[in-house]
Amino acid sequence: MSFALPARQVTFGRPSAYQQQQHGLGGNPYQPTGLALPGPSPLANPYQQQQQLQQQQQQPLPTKAPSPPPVSNAVAGPSTPPAAAVPSTPAPLTLEQQHITAVEGIVPTLQNIVATVNLDCRLDLKTIALHARNAEYNPKRFAAVIMRIRDPKTTALIFASGKMVVTGAKSEDDSRLASRKYARIVQKLGFDAKFSEFKIQNIVGSCDVKFPIRLEGLAYSHGQFSSYEPELFPGLIYRMIKPKVVLLIFVSGKIVLTGAKVREEIYTAFNTIYTVLCEFRKP
Amino acid sequence: MASAYYEFYRGSSIGMALTDSLDELITSGAITPQLAMKVLQQFDKSLADTMVKQIKAKATLKGHLQTYRLCDDVWTFIVKQASFKMEQNEIISTPRIKIIACKSGDAIEAGKK
Repeated sequence: MSFALPARQVTFGRPSAYQQQQHGLGGNPYQPTGLALPGPSPLANPYQQQQQLQQQQQQPLPTKAPSPPPVSNAVAGPSTPPAAAVPSTPAPLTLEQQHITAVEGIVPTLQNIVATVNLDCRLDLKTIALHARNAEYNPKRFAAVIMRIRDPKTTALIFASGKMVVTGAKSEDDSRLASRKYARIVQKLGFDAKFSEFKIQNIVGSCDVKFPIRLEGLAYSHGQFSSYEPELFPGLIYRMIKPKVVLLIFVSGKIVLTGAKVREEIYTAFNTIYTVLCEFRKP
Repeated sequence: MASAYYEFYRGSSIGMALTDSLDELITSGAITPQLAMKVLQQFDKSLADTMVKQIKAKATLKGHLQTYRLCDDVWTFIVKQASFKMEQNEIISTPRIKIIACKSGDAIEAGKK
């Protein structure tokens, strides 16, 4: 998979309308918010269609996943926007319309996305460090240039082999956009950098189920998946097999999900674990 | 040993004055250029030591870091809307300041290990 830089390819098979929508909003459209989102009408939501397609084609929801409660109950905010605040905009997308199965209105927030790119060209790191802004290069410590940009707020590790790791993005589109920006910076310094083999390697999400959890009980009955060593780490490490996601579960009810390659895995993993967590709710 | 000290203090006003004086002495034939070089090297060393050991004054710097760079053990910072607060609560503001920071004394030794 290799793309020339100038042609801005849209990833993940998502129509560009979705991208514009997301960038225009400057927020996460998946997130239930109390405000009406000025976006295209819900019926024309391309992401929804995309999602339906995907789910029909390849990913029927696992039977383990709990069926979502009626969305109107689950999300009090978005479906009933204050009419006075934004009178002319259409009603925001409910979670159901976006085809994200939310339990109790909780949807994990994406916190970090790690992606790799091959610039397919040997790089002289010292030249990059000398001429680029916001770059650090200390070969005694680490054999890569560490570079940061402000928008999307991300960090890149650029190696002499031309391989690059981009971290810190909060969405797939941001991750790709940031990677392209880094590739462009390297290009502008006179290297024949391409933008190839872009791949998201890890997605991290987090959320709060808002009730305390009996980790010992969970560790005991799900011993196959769980590792709970409170003397080493206060959270329970839950290695889910399908989807292959690792969850850190804390007594407080805060959950961190990591190891996913696509965001749907984060959502599916959360929905799967939620029913389990309810079982081990602290009285 | 002679080259273990930075020469950048020669660009300061006291360094410039010293260089000018040495130039004059060389032109008038009072000292040899070799001696002048020796004096300047001692100046580099003395100023570096003095800055580390005898300067107790402190100032704080606040501002927005616009750009930073680390290459060859030299940090470069460009700070926008910078304001220095000196010891007598004197505040000096500037829209933009560039800071070049080099490793000094112990840090150089530590870096070699």
